[in-house]
Amino acid sequence: MTVRQLPEAVVNRIAAGEVVERPASVVKELVENALDAGARRIEVVLAGGGIGLVRVTDDGSGMSAADLALAVERHATSKLPDDDLFSVSTLGFRGEALPAIGAVAKLSIVTRTPDADGASEILVEGGKKHALRPAALGPGTRVEVRELFYATPARRKFLKSERAESAAAIEAVRRLALARPDVAFTLVAEDRAPVTYAAQAHGAEGRHLRMADVLGAELRDNAVAVEGTREDVAISGLAGLPTLSRANSLAQYLFVNGRPVRDKVLLGAVRAAYADLLHGGRYPLVALFVSLDPREVDVNVHPAKTEVRFRDPGLVRGLLVRALKDALAQGSRRSASTGAERFSSFARRNGGGAAGWRRSAAPLHGFAEESQAAFDSLNVPSADVRTPAALPADTLDRPLGAARAQVHETYIVAQTEDGLVLVDQHAAHERLVYERLKAALERDGVARQMLLVPAVVELDPADASALVERANELSGLGLVIEAFGPGAVLVREVPALLGETDAAGLVRDLAEHMAEWDSTLPLERRLLAVASSMSCHGSVRAGRRLKPDEMNALLRAMEGTDYAGQCNHGRPTYVELKLADIEKLFGRR
Amino acid sequence: MKVTLERSELVKALAHVHRVVERRNTIPILANVLIRAGKAGLELKATDLDLEIVESVPAEVKSQGATTVPAHMLYDIVLKLAEGAQVQLETAGDRATLLVRAGRSRFTLQTLPEGDFPDLAAGELPHRFTLAAKDLKRLLDKTQFAISTEETRYYLNGIYLHAIDDKGAKLRAVATDGHRLAQVEIPAPKGAAGMPGVIVPRKTVNEVQRLLEDAGEEVAAEVSPTKIRFTLGKTVLTSKLIDGTFPDYARVIPLGNDKTLVVDKGEFAAAVDRVSTVSSERGRAVKLSLSDGKLTLSVTNPDSGSATEELEVDYGAEALDIGFNSRYLLDIAAQIEGEKAELKLADPGSPTLLRDKETAGAIYVLMPMRV
Repeated sequence: MTVRQLPEAVVNRIAAGEVVERPASVVKELVENALDAGARRIEVVLAGGGIGLVRVTDDGSGMSAADLALAVERHATSKLPDDDLFSVSTLGFRGEALPAIGAVAKLSIVTRTPDADGASEILVEGGKKHALRPAALGPGTRVEVRELFYATPARRKFLKSERAESAAAIEAVRRLALARPDVAFTLVAEDRAPVTYAAQAHGAEGRHLRMADVLGAELRDNAVAVEGTREDVAISGLAGLPTLSRANSLAQYLFVNGRPVRDKVLLGAVRAAYADLLHGGRYPLVALFVSLDPREVDVNVHPAKTEVRFRDPGLVRGLLVRALKDALAQGSRRSASTGAERFSSFARRNGGGAAGWRRSAAPLHGFAEESQAAFDSLNVPSADVRTPAALPADTLDRPLGAARAQVHETYIVAQTEDGLVLVDQHAAHERLVYERLKAALERDGVARQMLLVPAVVELDPADASALVERANELSGLGLVIEAFGPGAVLVREVPALLGETDAAGLVRDLAEHMAEWDSTLPLERRLLAVASSMSCHGSVRAGRRLKPDEMNALLRAMEGTDYAGQCNHGRPTYVELKLADIEKLFGRR
Repeated sequence: MKVTLERSELVKALAHVHRVVERRNTIPILANVLIRAGKAGLELKATDLDLEIVESVPAEVKSQGATTVPAHMLYDIVLKLAEGAQVQLETAGDRATLLVRAGRSRFTLQTLPEGDFPDLAAGELPHRFTLAAKDLKRLLDKTQFAISTEETRYYLNGIYLHAIDDKGAKLRAVATDGHRLAQVEIPAPKGAAGMPGVIVPRKTVNEVQRLLEDAGEEVAAEVSPTKIRFTLGKTVLTSKLIDGTFPDYARVIPLGNDKTLVVDKGEFAAAVDRVSTVSSERGRAVKLSLSDGKLTLSVTNPDSGSATEELEVDYGAEALDIGFNSRYLLDIAAQIEGEKAELKLADPGSPTLLRDKETAGAIYVLMPMRV
């Protein structure tokens, strides 16, 4: 068979496979174009899950008729004025999206520059361009994509249900809306009410308002603000409290210079920051914005531009972990207030339930009351703080308030100025002991047991040298390694805390983790796992009666401990019920 | 099958064999003990597929036969029968049950066919020798503590038993977990000289130690490269060996250490135990500071405090500070029989050799900790 140049239509379809994966990627490309055109308002309309129709209308700069004809050609763009790929400041730059979409769908673009007399329209169907023709439109651009993938039926088969595609497309808009609070977004999809995010001011305040709009009140109320700057890199955003977690990482909104990304370095940093706060398999909610000099980051890694490459990943990673940890340490004494909501929704759901409960309880009254009285003592709180009458009143204004009682020998009920707090005594004490052990580890270093026979661990040469580079840091954690030829390391000393451990397995874990996430997490995690099980055994169990003074001491210690909002398995240590929520329960509000 | 025997005889035999049977099994018959009545009496056999114990018990056999019943249940039943009772075991003709009768008690136990009971085909065991029970006990007892429990280095999960020729033929046992090593030897019994080096698994070691408690004077051992068998009186234990290569342990034994410390073993162990009280639960390091004639033991725990204790010792070399895991020190001290323990040290980063000052034949190597 002879070699031949592929026809342009085929080339475009091949390229489309990378850029246009599903309706969500069409939406993303078109909205990014609108943003790059300096739009102030963007409207996105979806029909048939975005497969039938995607229409993006903006009030941006528009294009002249000549530009429009060129815009649907491959690698034609207005966005790289000086051909410098190393300082990309627009969202797009590859000049691929429009021709790619045109190659697989019916694309129509109507556009008008502010000073032009009229608008022009171009139609591209399955890669075939029609002639320009005049049209009517205000300044801006309207792009319509109909019957996506009608030209590539195979691709169409891989799409999910309309509902799922629609959800993904909406998610793409939400991500971009988060990135640009200064632009108003309107989102119209068939199966839900139209949503409008009003334009907000530039800066942190506008961003917070937009985050509240997009992410909802839950994150806003259960998150802490993250701020951090190191050298030319700045980070801001919101970090969800560990008690507010999800089973997947989809609710992690990460942005680099306003570009939504799902980058490994950043995701890894988030994971590391939450490492001992969450159960394995639970993911935190975060919305984080990284801004840095465009020359310090390469966005030209993949056509979809969700991965980026940092010139100094260590710096970004370190900054992110630090900023998150600091923010969480401050916010960590809080625990999610979602419990109260659940409670009130329960009451609402069971609107008539109270009466039903009373009915079933009524016959009990019929029982001989004397015999019931014998059980009275079972129903009183395990401990009662009312008796020593004069409680120091000042503890009421503390965040966790004053202990009032212990119930079921497990939970402490405390009163605060504006509500009440339920504390799980075991979970709370476990976290206190754990933090103490952790501090001791950090302060005293890790004692190291030398090995009689150093263990030789064979590794990939790149992994081995990466590990050896970090040898100093590892020895601080109790693991002493040395280079042993190009593809192996020698383990001489291991953390005494781990007892008799599988050194080779540990080193391999570390190497893998380091290649992927560039961190020494597995080693820290093992050390902390030991600390964690020690703290579990060394803490006050459920079922132990606490004296009032003990309860108050526990509350005060929790207020003074970082991450006291959840035990080291990620469960909350306390739930707060606001007075307002209680009043709602009783219909007072 | 129908047999009658003394309760106490049955209890003793079952106590030996039932321990091999795991509490939870995926193969049902492994939960059972094989009972076989032959001309010579009753034979009990239990296995976990790696280890097999067979014990014969004197019994009055009315009719021969064999069956299998749940081992732990039979043991519990027999244990609770009145002392001095005569126990009758009888299979019920066509039904798969065993009738256990003693006094007025009757138990009917479900059985599984004896033909399904696995056999640990031992094959040929060419190397045979006999050794004194106390010698075998010494080999196992003094090395057992150093066996590794870490599964990935499976070849360390047992005692390495082998014959060497070092100023006369010796039978040597070695165990190590990578932090410490124990080596004990006895003069090789006749027939042991040519035996292959074998790694006896931990569970087997534990069972043999237990059987040695009621054993007579002598134990017969038979070894092949894959199996080992110990015959202790009426009990025969056959075990698979760990299929692996024991590391070349000789090169970690420091023979050139020149700083000699001699301590009173009892005083030393008690002092280590006392000072380590203040250390946290894990990774308890005790620091040994040596100077002329004096040993200072110290432990510092930033959370709770510190402890020091001075001992008068026999030490003439230059001053030295070295750290050890206190539990390891106590483990080794417990193995030393004489009054004096001798430590040969080099520096805080090199292995230390410990041994009994008076009796030879056992040495211990311990790797220090960085403190």
